[in-house]
Amino acid sequence: MAATFFGEVVKAPCRAGTEDQEEEEEGRRETAEDREVRRHLARKREVRLFRRQTKTSLEVSLLEKYPCSKFIIAIGNNAVAFLSSFVMNSGVWEEVGCAKLWNEWCRTTDKTHLSPAEAFCVFYHLKSSPSCSCYVAEDQQYQWLEKVFGSCARKNMQVTLLTCRHVTDYKTSESISSLHSPFLKALKTQNFKEPPCCSLLEQPNIVHDLPAAVLSYCQVWKIPAVLYLCYTDVMKLDLITVEAFKPILSSRSLKGLVKNIPQSTEILKKLLTTNEIQSNIYT
Amino acid sequence: MASRYDRAITVFSPDGHLFQVEYAQEAVKKGSTAVGIRGTDIVVLGVEKKSVAKLQDERTVRKICALDDHVCMAFAGLTADARVVINRARVECQSYKLTVEDPVTVEYITRFIATLKQKYTQSNGRRPFGISALIVGFDDDGIPRLYQTDPSGTYHAWKANAIGRSAKTVREFLEKNYTDDAIANDSEAIKLAIRALLEVVQSGGKNIELAIIRRNQPLKMFSAREIELQVTEIEKEKEEAEKKKSKKTT
Repeated sequence: MAATFFGEVVKAPCRAGTEDQEEEEEGRRETAEDREVRRHLARKREVRLFRRQTKTSLEVSLLEKYPCSKFIIAIGNNAVAFLSSFVMNSGVWEEVGCAKLWNEWCRTTDKTHLSPAEAFCVFYHLKSSPSCSCYVAEDQQYQWLEKVFGSCARKNMQVTLLTCRHVTDYKTSESISSLHSPFLKALKTQNFKEPPCCSLLEQPNIVHDLPAAVLSYCQVWKIPAVLYLCYTDVMKLDLITVEAFKPILSSRSLKGLVKNIPQSTEILKKLLTTNEIQSNIYT
Repeated sequence: MASRYDRAITVFSPDGHLFQVEYAQEAVKKGSTAVGIRGTDIVVLGVEKKSVAKLQDERTVRKICALDDHVCMAFAGLTADARVVINRARVECQSYKLTVEDPVTVEYITRFIATLKQKYTQSNGRRPFGISALIVGFDDDGIPRLYQTDPSGTYHAWKANAIGRSAKTVREFLEKNYTDDAIANDSEAIKLAIRALLEVVQSGGKNIELAIIRRNQPLKMFSAREIELQVTEIEKEKEEAEKKKSKKTT
């Protein structure tokens, strides 16, 4: 023990190597119980891909089982609502898989009634379009990518990602109050040759979480991919934020998929009224 | 930089920001839209009605509140903060009337509310009020007034303004459409307020609440039926304008 100038008592390290030190090291060593807890947590955080109808898990990665030329991923409730109303209302979409994962941010375990406001990843096949409204933690992103993309390059595939971010995360020299939110920004991989439907995301802004993981994967495996990031001041399900994605409807990836825009607006309004969360904090 | 200077209200950042006040302004954007229009002989307040739970009494979820017989306000932001500010303003209105035997002017009560809000941006252990307010009314001289306050404690007079979610979109609409013709008479001013709200309200007329004050008359809240009638008229006028436009192009 030693006293410092300020009168606090600190434990001074002993060069002789006493029993106290050994006790400390023992305390730091993992017990069997610690290992069991860690294993249980790892199992809980595993990303599993399965078919909801048959409840069987997919043995291979999703894109190996259902290869496609266009892969559209919507992350977050506004992006999912956009995809559900504008893209998936035309054509017949078959649900081919569902990603089940748990992390500390998950608030729901109900897998039967899904809506854009629920936390889940569902994969639909027409030209394959997953919509993901849950938060995929950093340690789970690699697993999610492996289960969906597999570990080898996908040829002849283009990936489009849609997601939202709060406008206060947008770094710019202009004042935030002069920004007309919601607005779209794009970030693409080197192999994506088409012009994006909006201006590119400027430095020093960065992309986070699952969209960043998917874009990085696509950049490494030379897959043409584009992320459309909507900066909005309303993060909950909101008509104006969803409509901010509309310029993407003219892009090549979505052109052939979107047929009935007036009907889409109706579907969107219905989705919004069903998912309105009643809260008394703000009026 | 923000993370080191945004915890305490009484601390300026090196570049002169009071982050808590700016964050309070973000809280205002979480409230639904409110719009205020100053006409020639009328003042109008329109709000996007919040969705009410099935078992909730609708009368207890109000965004437009009377402060006195001749002044009313609409707010956007934290409900509880609004309740506190409104109560203080109402007490001040009566106290003033009993003291000087005259009703408050709209500017006086706005300044009172703004001063109250400013105090909370300069006090230890308190946070700013997370509301912006639109205060409308007529003074004794018969001139209509519209003021807006925000969490920093500033207040300004406006001809027309909007607060809350999508306020920017509504304000831009008002900048284009607030003309002398648009406020030529009372019904045009009312229609302008409804048209401004329809730009951003998600399900049309049934989610709009409207209040007006006419010179020397008390506050009048429109019923859902009256609003629906106005919305139908506006939609008819829009259709006719579009038909005229398409005729001109052909």
